[in-house]
Amino acid sequence: MIEFKLPELGENIEQGDLVRLMVAPGATVNTGQSVMELETDKAVVEVPSSVSGTVQEIRVKEGDKIKVGQVIFTVDGAEAKAPAATAAAAAPAPAATPSEQKSVPTPARKETASEQKAQPTAPSEPATSGGGEFKLPELGENISQGDLVRLMVSAGTKVSEGQPVMELETDKAVVEVPSSVTGMVKDVKVKEGEKIKVGQVIFTLEGAAAAVAPARPRNAPVEHVSGQHGARLAFQAAIRAEGKTEEQALPPDQPQQVPAQFSMPAQLGKVAGTEHRQAIPAAPHVRRLARELGVDIYEVKGSGPGGRISEENVKAYAKSLLSAATSAAATPRAGHFAQPQLPDFGKWGDIERVSMRGVRRKTAEHLAEAWNTIPHVTQHDRADITELEQLRARFAPKAEEAGGKMTVTAIALKVCAAALKVFPQFNASIDIEKEEIVYKQYISIGVAADTDRGLLVPVIRDVDKKNIVELAVELSQLSKKAREKKLASGDMEGGTFTITNLGGIGGVGFTPIVNYPEVAILGLSRSRIEPEWINGKFEPRLILPLSLSYDHRLIDGADAARFLRWIAEAFEQPFLLSVQG
Amino acid sequence: MSDNQSLNIAVIGGGPGGYAAAFLAADLGMSVTLIDPELNPGGVCLYRGCIPSKALLHVAKLLEESHQAKDWGIEFAAPKIDLARLRSWKENVVKKLTGGLGVLSKQRKVKYVQGRAAFENSTTLRVTKTDGSEESLAFDRIVIATGSRPAVVPALKLDTPRMMDSSGGLNLEDIPGTLLVVGGGYIGLELGSVYAALGTRVTVVEMLPGLLPGADRDLVLPLHKRLEKMFDSILLNTTVASVKDEGNGIRGKLKAQDGSEQEKVFDRVLVSVGRKPNAEIPGLEKTGVKAGERGFIQVNKQLQTDDPSIYAIGDVVGEPMLAHKASHEGRVAVEAIAGHKVAFEPNAIPAVVFTDPEVAWCGLTETQAQRENREIKVAKFPWAASGRAITLDRPEGMTKLILDPQTERVLGVGIVGAGAGEMIAEGVLAIEMAALASDVSLTIHPHPTLSETVMEAAEVFFGTSTHIYRPKRG
Ligand SMILES: Cc1cc2nc3c(=O)[nH]c(=O)nc-3n(C[C@H](O)[C@H](O)[C@H](O)COP(=O)(O)OP(=O)(O)OC[C@H]3O[C@@H](n4cnc5c(N)ncnc54)[C@H](O)[C@@H]3O)c2cc1C
Repeated sequence: MIEFKLPELGENIEQGDLVRLMVAPGATVNTGQSVMELETDKAVVEVPSSVSGTVQEIRVKEGDKIKVGQVIFTVDGAEAKAPAATAAAAAPAPAATPSEQKSVPTPARKETASEQKAQPTAPSEPATSGGGEFKLPELGENISQGDLVRLMVSAGTKVSEGQPVMELETDKAVVEVPSSVTGMVKDVKVKEGEKIKVGQVIFTLEGAAAAVAPARPRNAPVEHVSGQHGARLAFQAAIRAEGKTEEQALPPDQPQQVPAQFSMPAQLGKVAGTEHRQAIPAAPHVRRLARELGVDIYEVKGSGPGGRISEENVKAYAKSLLSAATSAAATPRAGHFAQPQLPDFGKWGDIERVSMRGVRRKTAEHLAEAWNTIPHVTQHDRADITELEQLRARFAPKAEEAGGKMTVTAIALKVCAAALKVFPQFNASIDIEKEEIVYKQYISIGVAADTDRGLLVPVIRDVDKKNIVELAVELSQLSKKAREKKLASGDMEGGTFTITNLGGIGGVGFTPIVNYPEVAILGLSRSRIEPEWINGKFEPRLILPLSLSYDHRLIDGADAARFLRWIAEAFEQPFLLSVQG
Repeated sequence: MSDNQSLNIAVIGGGPGGYAAAFLAADLGMSVTLIDPELNPGGVCLYRGCIPSKALLHVAKLLEESHQAKDWGIEFAAPKIDLARLRSWKENVVKKLTGGLGVLSKQRKVKYVQGRAAFENSTTLRVTKTDGSEESLAFDRIVIATGSRPAVVPALKLDTPRMMDSSGGLNLEDIPGTLLVVGGGYIGLELGSVYAALGTRVTVVEMLPGLLPGADRDLVLPLHKRLEKMFDSILLNTTVASVKDEGNGIRGKLKAQDGSEQEKVFDRVLVSVGRKPNAEIPGLEKTGVKAGERGFIQVNKQLQTDDPSIYAIGDVVGEPMLAHKASHEGRVAVEAIAGHKVAFEPNAIPAVVFTDPEVAWCGLTETQAQRENREIKVAKFPWAASGRAITLDRPEGMTKLILDPQTERVLGVGIVGAGAGEMIAEGVLAIEMAALASDVSLTIHPHPTLSETVMEAAEVFFGTSTHIYRPKRG
């Protein structure tokens, strides 16, 4: 009896949902035949069988979650494992060679009757693993060898078919190689660090009678693509450093390395660095035109018979790209608040049209930009500022003396500056183009000011270096400047964080928009007396609602919660602040 | 581009890739130096590849037909073979063509340097000329077109002229009584056919289960059948375990996959087990050029290597190792150097085996479609139904189209039969132009020619071939 287990499906795919089972007990399956559809979190894949025979027992049902290695069904064994089993009994087969395997007819392949007559003795599949040993199976087109990175078995290890036994680094990727045999490892013939060729014996099995499963079908996915190209290049560099060419470093020609002659179709996809894309229905001069116009011909829809792409199709596509680009350039707000055609509002009553130039338009652009760029999340919290109120009262005269007003906003500036020191990622920006995070070593906080010109955000510099009274004074001055339209544009630049306080108006909470390219903004709403359950009874406490919006690209939700909690607690322990001044 | 005038490029290797690149570069106004050890451009293809082998195959075909003529009522006496004359005819063919290339390069003012190039850095070459002098030359861009050489199997290395590679085989020093051909790829079969036609008893040994690995089996079958008659034996699933020089011959130990062994003495042995890229150019490690799989130089679609000032084309960058692929790449590389937005992205590259019958194919093969699990429809037209094939007494051929079942587009074409190599070009054009089966079937083909089989194969697809009756499907 042979078991068919879920083979490796690819990098990081450990399981999948069985969408459709294509075999039933009694069905005949062949190696390579699709037996089920599995939905992984990447895609729905058709899984080919690696065994042939008559299905005995099915161990899964549709809807099941199936893990790699799990038994799917069993097939009746004895006569099922045809070619490999015969080979197993024979004397050690001549070394399987890469080219040999490459051109091996896949089991699924139909052979004409006459052809079989011509070659009556040719087995449909030579033994890739014969005589109770496991040889390095073919790893993919043009991969004839790899460096053994990790060996996962040693003498005495029990292995079963499909179980990963080693990691091999080819020049394409690090590949986990599953065993195609089942039994107890007797002798391991390779060492880590060695270069191993396709067909080379990796280990032998205890007892010649060990079950040899049919060779894995070519299409069973085993490759863990994980861009190890760098390592490969390093390898080449190392060889060079030794003053050798790769040719010299690698063993000389051997029959095993003889390339398949003239196996052009197999190679065609890889000709001169072309990655394999299916032939596109466009004449050569049309493809050339597309390249010249900078059009990816694969994006163009052909209007001709069979989807044939004409010169006109390419030109029209290029034009559409161009006009899309120019219209985007002509109206910089396209995509931000470019909107569908407006209805005729006049139909329903009188209207008045007012220019949106100036602050309003700037605000609109800026906020649309922020909204389009930043995936926003808003975190809400509450701070008990009963004690803080007392502190505020205490500092108020001092501030007044200095010409300022001790407001919650002024205190919030101090609190936030302290918080930003603890949580520097809130004092940062994202440089997407360079794929870098810009951490700012200064803390300058903008404060949204509601003026009759609209929303303005003057920035207070180096907040962390100023005490509460200084902050209160500066804030009052800037607010005044804002209202008197005396803010210079420099006064509104260089912020690293923003505070917006709508408490003066009311509300229990809101979701501010991050002041791009900053990554977070703190909103304050109206504080009010609320009953708080303290020491077994309700007490009237002054509660300040806090709303923190942040750029989720940079900041995780938990960090935002911690940051806001930190701020809330700072508000609740004003002595801490008072000590800091 | 007008500033090509100022571009100074070198092409290393004068094969079909190299000279095509050099000539186009000159035509585009660049100043070009072409370096190759031979007297004239030509490379493997002209000196010891495509051209001499085809010259000899032409003779082989004539000899075969002279035998077959008996069936048509014409009997010739046994041919008298003047080997020296045959050789010199072949050499004259080579001379004529390579000499012509020499003239063409002079006319184009290509600076042809007879010698070998080594790299000093990414833009400087040290050229050792055939006359022994050395020179360092600096260039803006360098194109590597150093081609390939026969792969050597250590176990089959003997220091005797009886042991030959393809170049030795083409030298035609004698007509051996017996010849062992190691490797049933196209080179082995082509040269084996030449020797067989000249009277040698040929044994072909191939370690895979079929001749011409990579080609669709139904295309190989008619060839296999004919070669079985021409050759002494064709041993599949067999390798040559060892060879021994016995003075008056070479003893080869042939080992079959089932473990059985036989020993035989051959007058000569031809090793044709594949080709290796000539990527070991001295000093290449001083550049950024990198080699990849199987030692081929790594290039992008513009044929540019990892070193931006160096391009590589032809056999040295990968399969298929064919002259026409090399030339096309050469032209693409030069256009890329000239600043054009080009890419090497053919939809089909034809492959031709110049045996008798010839085998030719292009685009998608059935084998490949199967491997990729791609759904296809195959339409075959057997030449037994072709008037032209019957007049030639060559009914064993077959023409097939591989079609996309949805769009009915021609994705691949395979032909086996006399003259298949000339016919395949129509298939390549059909694929490149994205022709549909109906485009092919509605194109009038001349009668009576073998080319009609392409049209009729398309008709077979629709079930309406004039010369084939198919009961209605379904
Ligand atoms: C017997 C035989 C038959 C063939 N038949 C066909 C056929 O029918 N059709 C087909 O398409 N293809 C055929 N080929 C293959 C064809 O010959 C090659 O694909 C083709 O020649 C490759 O061209 P290339 O320009 O890449 O290099 P090559 O033709 O290999 O030329 C490379 C040149 O570079 C030179 N060179 C190498 N190193 C240096 C250096 N450091 N400095 C200077 N020069 C250097 C070499 O001496 C050589 O002259 C055949 C090959 C053989 C052997």
